[in-house]
Amino acid sequence: MSRGLVTGLLAGATFVLLVVGTPAGAYHTNFQAYCNDSWMNLNPINRGEARNYAYSAAGEGYQWGGGCWNTNGYDDSPGDQPENPYTRGEGPDCSGFTFKAWYERAETGDPWFRYHYLMQNVHGPYTAADFKYGVGAPNMTVAKASTTFMDAFAATNHIGMIYWENTAYNQDRIIEAKCEACGTGTWPRTYRGNPDYSGVRRRYWG
Amino acid sequence: MERAWRWPFAGFVVGALMGATILTVNVVGASSPVRPPAATGSFGEILHTPVLLSRTGEPVRLRYGFVCGVPRFEPAGGCSPSGSVFVRPAGRSEFTERSLRRDSEGLLAATIGAREAAGGFDYYARIDNGRGQSRELPGGAPAAPHHVWPIESWSRVDLGAARFGRTRTPDSVVASFPWGRGDHAAGLDTGREQSRIGPSAFDVAPDGSVVVLDQVNRRLALVRPGSRPAHVPIAFEGGEGDLAVAPDGTIYVLDASGTPMLRSFTAGGYPIASTRLAEQTADMVRVGPNGPLVHAYPSEMWLPTGAGAPPFAPAQQLAAAEPARRVGDSSVVVSATSDEAKLALVRGDRVAHAWAVRSAANLGEVQLAEPYGDGLLVVLRVWTEKRSEFRVLRLTRAGLAESFAVDRAEWAESASLSRFRLHGSTLYQLRSTPSGTQVATFEIGGKG
Repeated sequence: MSRGLVTGLLAGATFVLLVVGTPAGAYHTNFQAYCNDSWMNLNPINRGEARNYAYSAAGEGYQWGGGCWNTNGYDDSPGDQPENPYTRGEGPDCSGFTFKAWYERAETGDPWFRYHYLMQNVHGPYTAADFKYGVGAPNMTVAKASTTFMDAFAATNHIGMIYWENTAYNQDRIIEAKCEACGTGTWPRTYRGNPDYSGVRRRYWG
Repeated sequence: MERAWRWPFAGFVVGALMGATILTVNVVGASSPVRPPAATGSFGEILHTPVLLSRTGEPVRLRYGFVCGVPRFEPAGGCSPSGSVFVRPAGRSEFTERSLRRDSEGLLAATIGAREAAGGFDYYARIDNGRGQSRELPGGAPAAPHHVWPIESWSRVDLGAARFGRTRTPDSVVASFPWGRGDHAAGLDTGREQSRIGPSAFDVAPDGSVVVLDQVNRRLALVRPGSRPAHVPIAFEGGEGDLAVAPDGTIYVLDASGTPMLRSFTAGGYPIASTRLAEQTADMVRVGPNGPLVHAYPSEMWLPTGAGAPPFAPAQQLAAAEPARRVGDSSVVVSATSDEAKLALVRGDRVAHAWAVRSAANLGEVQLAEPYGDGLLVVLRVWTEKRSEFRVLRLTRAGLAESFAVDRAEWAESASLSRFRLHGSTLYQLRSTPSGTQVATFEIGGKG
């Protein structure tokens, strides 16, 4: 009796761990299964509307290569392996976040505006380095001293948008998809005075 | 036959349940977030930079931005905020209400006349988001409002043209770590499309030990003079944070995650207590005369969390918040822009001394402002589009007594205002290069 029970125990546990555990680990929460591909083209919007849009991601997750989030205020897929798009977690990465918050279009020669639903899983065609050098019809580089809210500071590996300029200690509050452990949110940063970062602007705000 | 399979079958079922339990704990449980109140609640966020310091005889402009909680095209998106500011001139007991009006940049604004502002004043705002919800900023108002100190006379300091590259070599290196996970290393979180993040912060303990927040490896590194680093694992959820060590050796760690937390540890790293912070963003923890103080946003007030256990709850933090950082029997006030950094030592409503620092190059953030002798030791950034470095300024009541430049050495990111600490007459800097990170020292002249 006991030998049969133990054998059955081991077999049952092994079966579940192998059959269910492997894909569960690979896909983690598979948040992106709930995302969509909904968007609509718009006339130019203003910086304030873009900031409202970006704020919807504050408190949500970070996903390398990702692009969709809900608005429940927390990361639904924390602890995903960095740089692994197959974890299919919640949130954008830094450049995908800027692309969506700047209402850009996937066609790099088209500078006009497109509303991407928050749950639309889209990253867009630009990396942080592309933004840094003003690649794409909607994007241009500007002097950091002349930037204002919803302009961005971009380095080769990261980009964040100005949420509120000039705190008391003379930082900028930046809204950004920072890292897997950080998620997406607003933090005071010193990118403006860091020469690794360039000033970047989206053209044609309404 | 049926009897022969009964026990193995029962075992299989129980084993399958055990396996499912293990998966739940390891895959779902381990990854389940602590579910805080939604940071992006439907109210939105009031944005404001407190004025803090004004020039006597000049009006004061109070300006507020507002971010709506939901974008225009998601269900029920967009909003139309309005509000008032409540002002109490020094010596008065009642606040009077002024309407905020939209200015040319779309901000909600009001001007306080020069006469009314002459003796200094308290103020707070109440903003309605246009959907029937309103909030005060600061959150503890009217009990804990913002304050403006009027300055009659300043010590003016002109740094002139920046000549980059003439930086001072550190006097010593007191802690050094290659990047990595091992016993002698410090963690580096890096990758494509994300920041390069090293240790967030450090501080110096009363016995001279250097305590480094190695949050990437979720641990503290304690470096005692002449000893190998010791490590203490800590709970840490966010990507970055700050750290401060109290005179009794207690270590305070700010976890600047989606729900900012302050945790305290004994000098040996044993956990004492933790508390959630009252505001959704925080960047600095420092130790005041009555315990830790956290600089939080959007109010930019200093929230006390209490030195004891249990620490203050969020509502207590808001009610006891102060607009300036208490240091001994004074408070340090910082109000800087790219044109001018204004600094003051105040006692209550009275200004003990004030400085105004200018430079031909842009001024960046004020990294450090600590009482030193009868003045302040200040570290701030000067920058152009292509160059940047830190300037260390020893300010006395007579003006600038000493100044030198320090290499920015910020290959990896730390928490934004956690690169420098002052301990006695020694200035410490957290530096990083592609090969690792180190804490270096600079001796300051004068009497600390």
